[in-house]
Amino acid sequence: MAGRALMAGLCAGVLLATAACGGSAPSGAAGAAAGRDEGPVKIGALHPVSGAFAVDGQQMRRGAELAVEQLNRNGGVAGRPVELITGDTQGKAEVGQSEAQRLIAEGAVGLVGTYQSAVSTNVAVVAERNKVPFVMDVTASDAIFTHGYQYSFRVQPGSTAIASAAANYLKEVSARTGKEVRKVAFLHEQTDFGRGAAEGFSAAAEKLGIEVGPDISYDATTVSDLTAQLTQVKASGADVLAVAGYYSDSLLVSRALASVKPDLDAVWGVSNGAYDQPKFVTDAGPGAELYFNTNYHYDATKPETVALREEYQRRYGAPMRTGAVLAYDAVQVVAQAVAGSGSTDPVRVRDTISAQEVEPLTVGNGPISFDGKGDNRNAVPVLTQVQGGAIKQVYPPEIAESEPDYTVMWRQP
Amino acid sequence: MTTLSPDRKRLDAGTLKRGGALAAVVAAAIALALLQSGSALVVWQSVVTGILTGGLYGLIAMGLTLIFGVLDIVNFAHGALLAVAMFLAFGVVQATGLHPYLALVVTVPVLFLIGAAVHRGLLSGSGGGSLENQLLITLGLSLLLENGLLLFFGAEPRSIGLPGEIQIPLFGAVVAGSRLYAFAGALLLGALLYWLLRRTRLGTAIRAVAANGPGAELVGINVRRLHTLTFAIGTACAGAAAVLAAPLISITPTLGAQFNITAFVVVVLGGMGNVVGALVGGLLIGLVEQLTTIFLNGQSSLLGVFVVFVLVLFLRPQGLFGRRA
Repeated sequence: MAGRALMAGLCAGVLLATAACGGSAPSGAAGAAAGRDEGPVKIGALHPVSGAFAVDGQQMRRGAELAVEQLNRNGGVAGRPVELITGDTQGKAEVGQSEAQRLIAEGAVGLVGTYQSAVSTNVAVVAERNKVPFVMDVTASDAIFTHGYQYSFRVQPGSTAIASAAANYLKEVSARTGKEVRKVAFLHEQTDFGRGAAEGFSAAAEKLGIEVGPDISYDATTVSDLTAQLTQVKASGADVLAVAGYYSDSLLVSRALASVKPDLDAVWGVSNGAYDQPKFVTDAGPGAELYFNTNYHYDATKPETVALREEYQRRYGAPMRTGAVLAYDAVQVVAQAVAGSGSTDPVRVRDTISAQEVEPLTVGNGPISFDGKGDNRNAVPVLTQVQGGAIKQVYPPEIAESEPDYTVMWRQP
Repeated sequence: MTTLSPDRKRLDAGTLKRGGALAAVVAAAIALALLQSGSALVVWQSVVTGILTGGLYGLIAMGLTLIFGVLDIVNFAHGALLAVAMFLAFGVVQATGLHPYLALVVTVPVLFLIGAAVHRGLLSGSGGGSLENQLLITLGLSLLLENGLLLFFGAEPRSIGLPGEIQIPLFGAVVAGSRLYAFAGALLLGALLYWLLRRTRLGTAIRAVAANGPGAELVGINVRRLHTLTFAIGTACAGAAAVLAAPLISITPTLGAQFNITAFVVVVLGGMGNVVGALVGGLLIGLVEQLTTIFLNGQSSLLGVFVVFVLVLFLRPQGLFGRRA
């Protein structure tokens, strides 16, 4: 009997709790009811700070924190201090969605995030329903922009933009060296990310008269050796190898390359998760030398970026990745819109975001400025290369720190 | 009840016949792959890589199959224990600057002790209990270990480089030295376990307990202690496998999951509890994986692995080298 009474009590409690939550959550009631008009201006940051993607998620949350600290040092926005309220997506779409709902209920005037396309897709729906702007820092998928959402914006260049830039840069860089590219073998992990990169690259490359093949895929979650795949590349006679993979598997590619030694002019990362990371250089050692990567990147030629990198290194004792700078820029987009509209009404903030221009610390072809769909029209992918053990921007020439070196090290005599 | 290895006479007749049939099937698959890819070099490299990674799988599966054969415990924590051993090896190499393989001196005894502690503390109580209990305990332990590693070391992948890594040419194919050492280590460990089980008093006792626990108890064997010892030996095998495999892969807290599935398939294929079967099963899975990527580019190599797995379960549910129940 006691058990049954306890059960009934618990059920009643749960019912009451859900009823109470249900009252505050849905749209419409947001706005002033959430307390946006007094106290600090709240910006919500959603990143995977636990789970398998925690390394990048933590970097990005810290980038957003540094942005908020700097805003407050300069007097805040619209005469009010700024507060970063944070949520952990754990890398899961459904968690990201409920965390977004919570941050909006706590009074966020805008959200930034989330690192993974699948999570951003869910958060975009919440943002749209609640009429709160969502500024994506890292999100590669272009599919989010096919729904006609009004409240979604993106700072980084999309996957198609990166893949076609990779093909264009390859054509241009190889032409400058006199060893013009003819045939590219494409090696990629097999989910949407890798396959999307391969398809985008192939489409652009074929227009430029570059043959793409063989197209080889692998399962990044189980692969422990890629020697056989690299032998296939060697047998194909391709003169460039393009690689779209995550960190660990891309490192395996570099190890297999060092033993198979195919006759290549270049290794060409396409949104590669390893070849523009300082850690790749320590893990792969001299074998990392001269690897290219086309990806979004922080603008290493800007003094503000250099200062941010130094501050990050000093505060957190680790080198800063581009994800942190993209989160930094996304916070600036929201903050500047609050300052520009002089309002914390999310709808007015959204309208200002779509009209304003923000100077980025990530590489762009001009200020951050969004097209009708919400995509940053000035986002530019960068070509980086490992040179002398450091990651250098080598192309396009306007932001180059160094000349591209179009010869690989293991080429056999 | 399963047995740890087939006895002599059966090894001569049935096993050899099955081995021959298996070799014929593998040869046919290789010939087909040759037709499919059109490049002998590509297929040859696949076969070499398949055999070498297969050795690694066999190495990882050996401890698992030993534990299953004697204790009837499906140890879902094996992969997580492997990850623990890898972080241990990484720590030793970082702290001392010794050659990575010397980390064996630390990982094998430490994992032996961990294994003994895990069995005494968590599993021995459920010795006669239900299979579900043991599954839940080992699964829970693997979650605990994985998240503990995440907490202490973070998600950042680490790697142990082998100093003076060499590349060995083999009739056109290439083999990294570290991979060959891991393969040799797998053979050595397999031989060692075989010797331990067949030629020592301890091995005889272990086999006796595996075959007939109550009977062994009657002739004066301390079954509980022997169970703990076997679990510890099985876990120590994971410690050895970790050191040999560490230079080949990135070390992350969640790497156990990557090998757990493969190791279980290998164990079932080789006949549960059969140490030599685990090695052969490992080689087979390594080959299947590599040949799958030639036949079905763009698909997970696990697809081929599971097709073979289901076929074997269908045709020979006790595994290739297991004895009928």
